Amino acid sequence: MKIYLALTVASLKMYFRNKQALFWALFFPLLIMIIFGMMNFNKYSSPNVGIYDAANNYASQALIEALKGNSDQKLLSVSTGTLDELHHELEFGSSRAVIEIPANYGIPGEFAEIKFIYDERFQQERAVIATILEKVTDAVFKEAAQVPDEYRVENAIGISDSVITGQGQGFKAWLIPGVAAMAIMQTGLFTVVFTLVRFKSQGVLRRLKATPIGAAHFLAGQLTTKAIVVVLQTYVLVIVGAVVLGVSVGGGRLGAWFDLSILALLGGALFIAIGLAVSGWAKNEETAAPIANIITMPMMFLSGVFFPLSVMPDWLTRWSQYLPLTYLADGMRAITVEGASITTLGGELIGLGVWISISFAIAIKMFRWE
Amino acid sequence: MTTAIDPVIVAKDLRKKYEDITAVNGISFEVRRGEVFGMLGPNGAGKTTTIEILEGMRDADSGDAIINGINVKDDPIAVKAMIGVQLQQNAFFDKLKLSEIVDLYAKLYLAKVDPVEILSRVGLDNRKNAQYAELSGGQKQRLSIAVALVNDPVVLFLDEPTTGLDPQARRQLWELVRKIQADGATIVLTTHYMEEAEELCDRIAVVENGEIIALDTPDALIDQLLSTGFKPEKRVREATLDDVFLNLTGHDLRD
Repeated sequence: MKIYLALTVASLKMYFRNKQALFWALFFPLLIMIIFGMMNFNKYSSPNVGIYDAANNYASQALIEALKGNSDQKLLSVSTGTLDELHHELEFGSSRAVIEIPANYGIPGEFAEIKFIYDERFQQERAVIATILEKVTDAVFKEAAQVPDEYRVENAIGISDSVITGQGQGFKAWLIPGVAAMAIMQTGLFTVVFTLVRFKSQGVLRRLKATPIGAAHFLAGQLTTKAIVVVLQTYVLVIVGAVVLGVSVGGGRLGAWFDLSILALLGGALFIAIGLAVSGWAKNEETAAPIANIITMPMMFLSGVFFPLSVMPDWLTRWSQYLPLTYLADGMRAITVEGASITTLGGELIGLGVWISISFAIAIKMFRWE
Repeated sequence: MTTAIDPVIVAKDLRKKYEDITAVNGISFEVRRGEVFGMLGPNGAGKTTTIEILEGMRDADSGDAIINGINVKDDPIAVKAMIGVQLQQNAFFDKLKLSEIVDLYAKLYLAKVDPVEILSRVGLDNRKNAQYAELSGGQKQRLSIAVALVNDPVVLFLDEPTTGLDPQARRQLWELVRKIQADGATIVLTTHYMEEAEELCDRIAVVENGEIIALDTPDALIDQLLSTGFKPEKRVREATLDDVFLNLTGHDLRD
């Protein structure tokens, strides 16, 4: 225990005295956050709408397809799910409206009332979505009118509006936890890889091998140091990001910071383990750097850090949803902007847990003193 | 300190092969408590491998290395805990002050020491706030000796402690070695400087191709050579070029 503490304190001192590393750990993510935060991507994309299909029949599915538009003209970005999920997305800003298709839609002789719920703060999007909804339902009628009388089924459709006041804070708020997650990945992986590979090539590790300590002491000290660094870094990024971009964190819930720390620790452990595996394998800095980049670069773009996974093709998201960074970014986003708490995160925690186990198993197998 | 066992080091028929090279080919010797034992030989003779087997840094293929009664292969941790080690290539954490490095290593041995006192033993107390990278070659060697002293070792292993040092720094290191010996430690050192061996060592093992080809006191080895009728090519001079250099540049250290 004493040995472990001594190693931890020493490596913390070393880390915080390395002003350059500190600067990059904070400067780069903050720069990205602020530049991207000032851009407004929402302008150019089709509005996100959650559709709840209670009817789930041929007619309702045709309606949903029509609302999505075709490849020439994309109308709405549609997500589906349970009513609760869709309302949650609306409330916390990842979608702009919920359309509920009633169970009796498309059933002859019934009057189907389609519910249209929108966020009152986004009037422009409401107008766009409402227009699309009207046009599309009109078109459905027109198409129906061409069917010969004897085959036609009467199904009247009405649209009723209702409104909520969402708590979503838009793209800026969405971006902050993603960039913080990315920074955890970068710090965890790169500082471990570069410190250990340097220690290894300089012979610092070999000198430690001549002392009566075990590899576990040394690795535990490294792990603790980097975990502390990662949590502090997350705080700084989220606080500065929130102040500069003017968003609130976790709806002002104090426990959100605790939850965030736990996620940062898990994420830190995960990427540190990956870093240990890489530095065990790599002989020197020259081989370590490309490997670390090959691991981190794709995740930066495929894990929903800068833009949501929904804008990517389905075949890609089918894989990228299982990436380590995706679980971390999703989890941190749920806590900072979607009002979730650590106890309500299921998939993300399981995903992180599985990745942590795999990475540590590989790291232990790969570690060498010299 | 641990109970005194004499001889403090027993090496019995040590052997070590790297792929197709035999680095150590049946080396046996004993080191008595309190002596400075030198291992001499050209590069690649097997000195470092032998010393690293004794330090628990490498496993021998066969044979026994017993330090103060403990067989290294039975309990390498216990052996590491009671010896001090200066490797041929030493590197310490950057971004730490010298006093912090000494303090950290002391804690790794669970030893309580005053880092400044340890640094003053090797003449580095005035640089206690410097970082490792700022040190000169001689200072780096002295720091690595300071670090090797934190656990008050029974045996101190010095692997080529003066290689690459200028004559002033070398002489200062010799003095340090004698001082440590006077304080009661047993010292095993490797070198390929003959005058260093003659100056410091009580007994010398000459190593060649992984075997000890001669083992005795420096005087006895010279006498044996002379008794074979050997005559030095040149008449022995009263001074050496080393003395000329030191006379011209002074004995003071340049760091």
